[in-house]
Amino acid sequence: MDSPAVEVSNLSKRYSNGTLANRDISFTVEPGEFLGILGPNGAGKTTLVRQITTELIPTKGQIRVFGIDGLSRPNEVKHYMGIMPQEASLYFGLSIRHHLSIFGKLRGLPAKLASRRAEELIADLRLEEHRDKPADQLSGGLRRRLLLGIASVADPPLLILDEPSAALDPEARHYLWDFLHKTHRQGSTIILTTHNMLEAEELCDRVGIVQDGSWLAHDTVARLKAAHGYEYKLTFDSKEGVETIYGSDDRTLVQQVQAQGIRQYTVSQTTLEDVYLSLTRERNVSTRGED
Amino acid sequence: MSGTTSTDRDVVGGIMETANRLHRANSIGKFISDAVSVFEINFIPFLKHWYVSVLLASGTSLPWFYVTRAIAPDDPQVIRRLLAATLVFGVTLSIGMLVGQNAVAQRFMGTLRLLVSMPMSKGSYVLGSLAFSSISGVITVLVLLGFGLVAGIGINPTWALAPSLILAVLTMSGLTMFVVSFAPSLQVGNLATALLSLVLATLSPVYFTMEQAPVLLKFFGYVSPLRYAADAIEKSLSGRVDVWFELTVLAIFAVVTMSLGLWRLPWRER
Repeated sequence: MDSPAVEVSNLSKRYSNGTLANRDISFTVEPGEFLGILGPNGAGKTTLVRQITTELIPTKGQIRVFGIDGLSRPNEVKHYMGIMPQEASLYFGLSIRHHLSIFGKLRGLPAKLASRRAEELIADLRLEEHRDKPADQLSGGLRRRLLLGIASVADPPLLILDEPSAALDPEARHYLWDFLHKTHRQGSTIILTTHNMLEAEELCDRVGIVQDGSWLAHDTVARLKAAHGYEYKLTFDSKEGVETIYGSDDRTLVQQVQAQGIRQYTVSQTTLEDVYLSLTRERNVSTRGED
Repeated sequence: MSGTTSTDRDVVGGIMETANRLHRANSIGKFISDAVSVFEINFIPFLKHWYVSVLLASGTSLPWFYVTRAIAPDDPQVIRRLLAATLVFGVTLSIGMLVGQNAVAQRFMGTLRLLVSMPMSKGSYVLGSLAFSSISGVITVLVLLGFGLVAGIGINPTWALAPSLILAVLTMSGLTMFVVSFAPSLQVGNLATALLSLVLATLSPVYFTMEQAPVLLKFFGYVSPLRYAADAIEKSLSGRVDVWFELTVLAIFAVVTMSLGLWRLPWRER
């Protein structure tokens, strides 16, 4: 198992209506890694993920999953992936238990093992009291949990989740995080797209930031903060309103504002959100400059 | 992940080995098992309202047969043709419509995306859908043949009936799958399958023979698979087995339309 879990090289996707959704994206995900893909709505996250899952054919570039070419051997690649699509629907006439056992068999589990695994997942995802309810009677949050169960039913080495926490309440989100922590500890490589910075900081080994179809950055949260000199932030009131300045050293930041005679300020560690906002704003400015 | 330890590598290796085992199990057995799973997906909800489907399958073909029977001459050969035509209409078109409507509904309601994410082939999906849709076809055949025997219609079915029906069903299913693949919405898809079935059934020499057909419909009859299906079924109901020509034409139609239908099934998007 020397190959990376996922290797994306020079990937571009142009839709038939001319929209360039991904531009020359390259990155690798190592086995056992937890990668978060962040980006605003319409940034190209789902397009990227759908190409990795082989559902969408790229315009240019290569994708390899555990060394297997996803473009020429899509069915083989899918044996190693559990996929939670963003917009998939469930079969309304089927219960949670039926969904998990049938999709377990579709992933190659023998019938008895698929039934046993279905029961385990019902417990792990805390779906016990809904196990025999048909999908049309489930709330949005329960449906997302069931989709996650379907993706992980055969313990795949690679789990690809497109906005798994969308529509989940805070309690359900924490159950989801516990579940993903456990799955990750058991050896799965996980790729997750999200808008939720806290989720990315909480779960991911590394994050990749996508905007306007381009891959802006890819590293650990700590290194991203350090690389952009944003380890600390200082917020203060000025005539123009609330201002925030960033720096790699909190004492330097304090000296800087004290020199200006400012006595009231707040110093805190920067969050991933600060790095994200700064990177995406820089990108917006440079794109406008190009225009 | 720069700090991967040997323990991490063991854990990851373990999960890869499990996936490899499942992958190696892939074979004809997996293909059939996938088709059975697709059948289950459709059959479990069907069980809750099975009587509706049974009533529809048995209740629509018989009245249709009676209507045509009422305006036809009292000739045993003509009545056999009407029975053959009702079998074509009731069995092949209903199964074809169900397969087409199932495909278009799953595509536009988003359930197909779940199946597409599984390591399964288009072929097993179509086989499972066909197997499920055939339930209503089998009921229709049993009801019509049972009625034919009870009502004293001179029929003497031979083995040729089964391949004629199967090939006609495959042809129509492939054709509807191909046509609905161009549908821009669920509504248009459903309308297209219904129209395709009705237009083919009314324009093809199904309820009448090629000799009785007007000139324009004769031309249509040469290229319509339903005409060959009706001819083969009529012969097989008359105790004949000399249907090789019709079976060969139907087999060619089945291969071509199924290939087109499978090719257009949206398993991967461009």
